[in-house]
Amino acid sequence: MKKVIMGNHAASWAVMLSRVQVISAYPITPQTQIVEELSEMCGDGRLAAKFLKVESEHSAMASVIAASATGVRAFTATSANGLALMHELLHWAAGARLPVVMVNVNRAMAPGWNIWADQSDSLSQRDTGWIQIYAEDNQEVLDSVLMAYRLAEIVRLPVMVCYDAFFLSHTYEPVDIPSPDMVDRYLPPYQPEIFLDPQAPHSFFGLVMPDVYMEMRYKMQQAMERVPAVAAQAADEFAAIFGRRYDMVEAIECDDAETVLVTSSTTTSPARVLIKQLRAEGKKIGVLKLRFFRPFPTDEVRRALKGKKRVVVVDRNISFGKGGIWADELRGALAGRPGMPQVYDFVTGLGGRDITPNLLAEIVADAEARKTPDRLLYWKGVNQ
Amino acid sequence: MAEEKPIVFAHVDDMPEMVMSIASMLWNKTGSWRYLRPRYEDRVPPCNEACPAGNDIEGFIRLLGEGQPAEAWRLLKEENPMPAVTGRVCFHPCEYGCNRVHFDAPTSIQALERYAADHAAGELDWAWRAPTGKKIAVVGAGPAGLAAAYHSRRLGHDVVVYDALPQAGGLLRIGIPAYRLPRDILDAEIAAIEKMGVVFELGVRVGVDVPFAKLAEFDAVFVAAGVHVNRKLGVEGEDGPGVVAGLGLLAKVALGEKFACGRDVVVIGGGNSAVDAARVARRLGANVTIAYRRTKVEMPAFEEEVRDAEEEGVRLELLVAPTRIRRDGGAVTGVELQRMELGEPDESGRRRPVPVRGSEFDLPCDMVVAAIGEAADLSFLPPEIKQEWGKIVIDAFGLTGRPGVFAGGDIADPQQNVAQALGDGKRAAIAIDRFLHGETIADIGGKIIVGERGCASMAQYAKRGASHAKIIDAQHVAAYEELNLWHFTRAERDRMARAPLAERLAGFAEINLGLTDAQAAHAAERCFHCGVCTMCDNCYVFCPDVSILHKTDGGYGYNIELDYCKGCGICVKECPRAAMSLGEE
Repeated sequence: MKKVIMGNHAASWAVMLSRVQVISAYPITPQTQIVEELSEMCGDGRLAAKFLKVESEHSAMASVIAASATGVRAFTATSANGLALMHELLHWAAGARLPVVMVNVNRAMAPGWNIWADQSDSLSQRDTGWIQIYAEDNQEVLDSVLMAYRLAEIVRLPVMVCYDAFFLSHTYEPVDIPSPDMVDRYLPPYQPEIFLDPQAPHSFFGLVMPDVYMEMRYKMQQAMERVPAVAAQAADEFAAIFGRRYDMVEAIECDDAETVLVTSSTTTSPARVLIKQLRAEGKKIGVLKLRFFRPFPTDEVRRALKGKKRVVVVDRNISFGKGGIWADELRGALAGRPGMPQVYDFVTGLGGRDITPNLLAEIVADAEARKTPDRLLYWKGVNQ
Repeated sequence: MAEEKPIVFAHVDDMPEMVMSIASMLWNKTGSWRYLRPRYEDRVPPCNEACPAGNDIEGFIRLLGEGQPAEAWRLLKEENPMPAVTGRVCFHPCEYGCNRVHFDAPTSIQALERYAADHAAGELDWAWRAPTGKKIAVVGAGPAGLAAAYHSRRLGHDVVVYDALPQAGGLLRIGIPAYRLPRDILDAEIAAIEKMGVVFELGVRVGVDVPFAKLAEFDAVFVAAGVHVNRKLGVEGEDGPGVVAGLGLLAKVALGEKFACGRDVVVIGGGNSAVDAARVARRLGANVTIAYRRTKVEMPAFEEEVRDAEEEGVRLELLVAPTRIRRDGGAVTGVELQRMELGEPDESGRRRPVPVRGSEFDLPCDMVVAAIGEAADLSFLPPEIKQEWGKIVIDAFGLTGRPGVFAGGDIADPQQNVAQALGDGKRAAIAIDRFLHGETIADIGGKIIVGERGCASMAQYAKRGASHAKIIDAQHVAAYEELNLWHFTRAERDRMARAPLAERLAGFAEINLGLTDAQAAHAAERCFHCGVCTMCDNCYVFCPDVSILHKTDGGYGYNIELDYCKGCGICVKECPRAAMSLGEE
């Protein structure tokens, strides 16, 4: 069934189709419609889930952690400062190895107060142990949530599905909504072996001494390292049922490219437009869309970028004192490997400023005019 | 449990993925940490305490909520022989006591009582006790006398009720018009008392037809003869045709006697009798004016009755007092009224009306109804039954100055209303029962009172059985502040449909039409059930130690697993209705 819906409602539909059992969330622009729609779905019986109203994002995450611990599928959604308020509990959900799925609508952090697209909110949760996926369009939002549950429940780590404020959250696009039957085939009921069971009481999440704490962390990293293989299998199965394929990265026209634009989220779409134009002009240019931030698709980017002349990273985020976060991660993945390209990092589009094909063309031209990156980052679009 | 050995992980792969104990934690009896213990402890709902008739209001509403109106009626009948009457004419002090008053609007208790009574079905299992052979005389077949007779009969005694009027019911019959209390409703509840074997001697005035001394043949006497002597206006021209008493008018119409109503009628007074007399006169075709000496706010009549009277075309002339009745050749031609203004508050707390000199004016009319109150006729009583302020002096349980003689209702109680009278009758029945057993009620008095200020409870008295130990003495009334209001939502109060105005004026058909089934269900749902466990499962859901358990036999209430209950008190805190307490071990 095709419907023209906003990105936020694509997320709601995915949650409904995933037969989520407990939802708890606190409203924040631009996330609100996700849970608004879900509360309607719970209210009118389309979704048999408990909807818990709470007084903060901290409590929302605490509630879904508790729900997930009892062995049910749980969901929450937030944005920007709401996500930041959850910070402690993000560590908690991951450390407890609970397959919670959360949508984070990427919004700029305040102050200054700004409700528009910016990835700094979720990227700064890098080390909490959450898998992070970034979606480019509304279809990918819906599909990523379905895949997120699949992935989370196999590797027992929480997954954050991120997409840009307003460019997706409030923008209507045609979305193919799969039938419940198809989703049921893809996503079996969640039946964990371990859960909080009053009939068989165990002590959960208690004190762990130095003799085993490190092993717990080791296992989390092991789980993260399993993700590429599990994600690949999940992508295969998804493609088989739904006819759409999502890998950890998408390499577009990269094979013969000399310059590769590295993008994430909605920045990919103008890049797709741009390289069509530049290819028509005879330029050897490609785009590498990064879907996963955690685990970082290290092998995938190495494969895709080996032998390229230059890589131009577009970062709608900033790690103050360093630079664009995707570029920094990318450099880490490529460092010390023979035959790897030079990385140009462009920080732009912060706080919802538009990233157009023309802006990307300027960025490419800027990078190509340089022999070598003489700075860690370049700002594009700052009035100066 | 077997001896536990420490678990050592030789390899990271042996460890569980989650941070959790490998072994069951049942060995860890966290109950040993507890120093406070939760308990299920029902409190007294404030409505129950506020009911002068001592009804188990929370209980009957719970039964209504469970879809058992006949059982609700049966529960009401435990404390009150006339729920169909009080469901219509009681001034519902329970609703003023209702905790929902502070939340949105009180539960529609009176309308629900009426709903339960109107859905009465099946027989009442009224006999609690085998016949005792003791004989009780009741003077007065009004609500107090009827309640005393009913409860005494349930306790196994023989009862004879005397009344000077030709029909039983007292003021319910002659004072309350049929549009508020239909005759068949009143008749049915009186007939039920008669069916229990209570003997009625009607048209027999004690002190005239039967000397009071003759009642000494009985083992006990309850005097509830009411107040029937009309107060006089004390103005020139009062005596003679065309001036009638409010209660006289009401009684004549109620008993079907001949009554020639005037065309232009002025009713003097502001109480319920005045308003009822005015509305009856309206129904007899008269133009009616109520003349009252203060403002509408001070009128002692029920607010809604005044509103109804105005709707029906009764005119209010406020801040006036009569100074003379004008007559022409004997016939009333008008009443001279003097304007009043409000001065300092009097002993009733209301501002005293002060005449405005020279403000007299005439209001033409052909009939004046004097409805400024009634007094008791105490002349038939022997001198050792003490009187004060026109009432019989009684103790807290209705005993007069003479052993074996009890009194209640309007003749003894300053609170002149139906529910109070019904409560007085019940209280006297219990006191008489104790007296007949050679005891006094004083030793158990406090323990059968609902709350601290409420009426005596027949259910509590019956529970007493042979042993005093069985009496519940938890009299803690559940206060609004003790409720957990997060668990309640605001909801509109349900109102009964009312007969259209034209129909109302055309006769004496009932005005309030009762709640529909859906309204009653909603109204019952609004009840907080303050202080009473309804098995809402909140404690069960919130207990972090899975220590609140449903009873394995499916019985009412919960078991607390004290081996594991840490005494955190969350169950008590999350009880919406303050039906739990947390106390030291």
